[in-house]
Amino acid sequence: MLTIHNLTAGYDAADVVSDVSLEVIKGKITCLLGANGAGKTTLIRSILGLNKIRSGRVSFDGVDISSFATHDIASRGITCVPEGRRVFAKMTVRENLQAGAFLERDSDVVAERLLQVFALFPKLEERFGQLAGTMSGGEQAMLTIGRSLMSNPSLMVFDEPSLGLSPLFVKENFRIIKKINEKGMTVLLVEQNVRQTLAIAHYGYVLSQGKIVASGSVDALKDNSELRAAYFGNA
Amino acid sequence: MDLGFIAQYFVNGLVQGITYALVAVGFTLFFGVLDVIKFSHGDVLMLGAFTALALFLGLDQLASPAWLSLIIMLCIGILAMGLLGALLCKFLVLPLKESPPLNTLLITLMFGSVIRESVRLFFPNGSNPKPFPALLPEASINWGNLNLRLDSVILISTGALAIVVTHLIIQKTRIGLAIRAVAQDEETARLMGIDFKKTVLATFALGSGLAALSGISTGLYYQEINFSMGLMLGVIGFSAAVVGGLGSIYGAIVGGLLFAFLQTLGAIWFSVPAYKDVFAFAVIIILMAWRPTGLLADRSAERV
Repeated sequence: MLTIHNLTAGYDAADVVSDVSLEVIKGKITCLLGANGAGKTTLIRSILGLNKIRSGRVSFDGVDISSFATHDIASRGITCVPEGRRVFAKMTVRENLQAGAFLERDSDVVAERLLQVFALFPKLEERFGQLAGTMSGGEQAMLTIGRSLMSNPSLMVFDEPSLGLSPLFVKENFRIIKKINEKGMTVLLVEQNVRQTLAIAHYGYVLSQGKIVASGSVDALKDNSELRAAYFGNA
Repeated sequence: MDLGFIAQYFVNGLVQGITYALVAVGFTLFFGVLDVIKFSHGDVLMLGAFTALALFLGLDQLASPAWLSLIIMLCIGILAMGLLGALLCKFLVLPLKESPPLNTLLITLMFGSVIRESVRLFFPNGSNPKPFPALLPEASINWGNLNLRLDSVILISTGALAIVVTHLIIQKTRIGLAIRAVAQDEETARLMGIDFKKTVLATFALGSGLAALSGISTGLYYQEINFSMGLMLGVIGFSAAVVGGLGSIYGAIVGGLLFAFLQTLGAIWFSVPAYKDVFAFAVIIILMAWRPTGLLADRSAERV
């Protein structure tokens, strides 16, 4: 569904990721694991058109989207749940969700999607009129997921959903990602929380110092020594 | 002091205050979406007034009735400045997005000078003040010492209506949602499918159209415009936006009205009208020292 061919990207003179190839398979959870500074964020920013690509290609549903603007990529059905719960803090929950469905002009369709989001997150319905910035971290995390669902995407990219959340919420978040996937959503999950990620993902890639050092099915990755090396120093 | 006098000052101040608020709302909108200060704003205002004047002179030849001329002047003046604002943003402001904000400030300051000098040089006899036609009804009512002019009432209501409409656009429409999303988090807005450039251009068009309205109102009220009128109005509008809390529309309105109130107060106290700006700016400086982020820019204030 999403294919990355030999992608190189970076800032200023330095390449942060080099020659990365990766494939996200329709209907599955593909995870991208890596420690801080491995280049995960740069890689997904490149997919989303937020960073310039130096060389290589990103294609989505057979279309080369490497040079597309971010909003055009969004309109093709890729949505991102950004790192660090970036809700529109000074908008209400309702307005945040409306912003998520920005590309849908039919208000009936938007209303229908709202009901689906409320079915998944009843809490958001309770907090409908509240300013997003005044909600707890866990509720904001729900809102960012709900907001992304409002665009009726075909691929959801989760950028470190466990970052800065309490263990309880991390667990809840992963449960929700799994639930969304079970309804047929394709997911690219970018994480450094290895154990919980491997528990729900189907395929995985491991990024270390800007290169893919291991990939394969989750079962294969679980006993991969390079994965251990990438994660626990050189243990 | 007589109640009629006070009411008179109040009405005059309100006309001024609404004019300032229209300018300040523009500053606040531009800062909201792009974190830039566009210093040519006052000169766009002036050009709006001159565009309207040129239109009037042309329409006068065609013996157009006053009300029709006025409507055409307003519509074309506002649309033309809206377009100019969008073009200015596209070619001068957006290309500098990644450079230091000081560069944007400088380039718009220079562009403002180009507009100003062009009007001075190329508008017939442009270096002298130009009479602006009195197109509003001249009726007035007297209550004691209060002389309530109908044109004041019309200008206050038009300005207030424009601000309310701007507010509704920002709070209730799709483009308004895009403007607020971009103002709060540009990247996330783009991830939602919002076209960043289009949104910013629309914001600049909106703010510049308001400046044109402000310029034409000033012309109609004083029945005189000149090529440098945008300098003072620009500085006042900017001060009003800053003192209210840059980025907050309510702040811009409060700031505009406050400035006019201070000017009026200054004029009354010193009984020499020339001191009114000195007094108003002095108080603004004190207010800014007291509340550096603006009167309304606390946690609850909404940015755009």
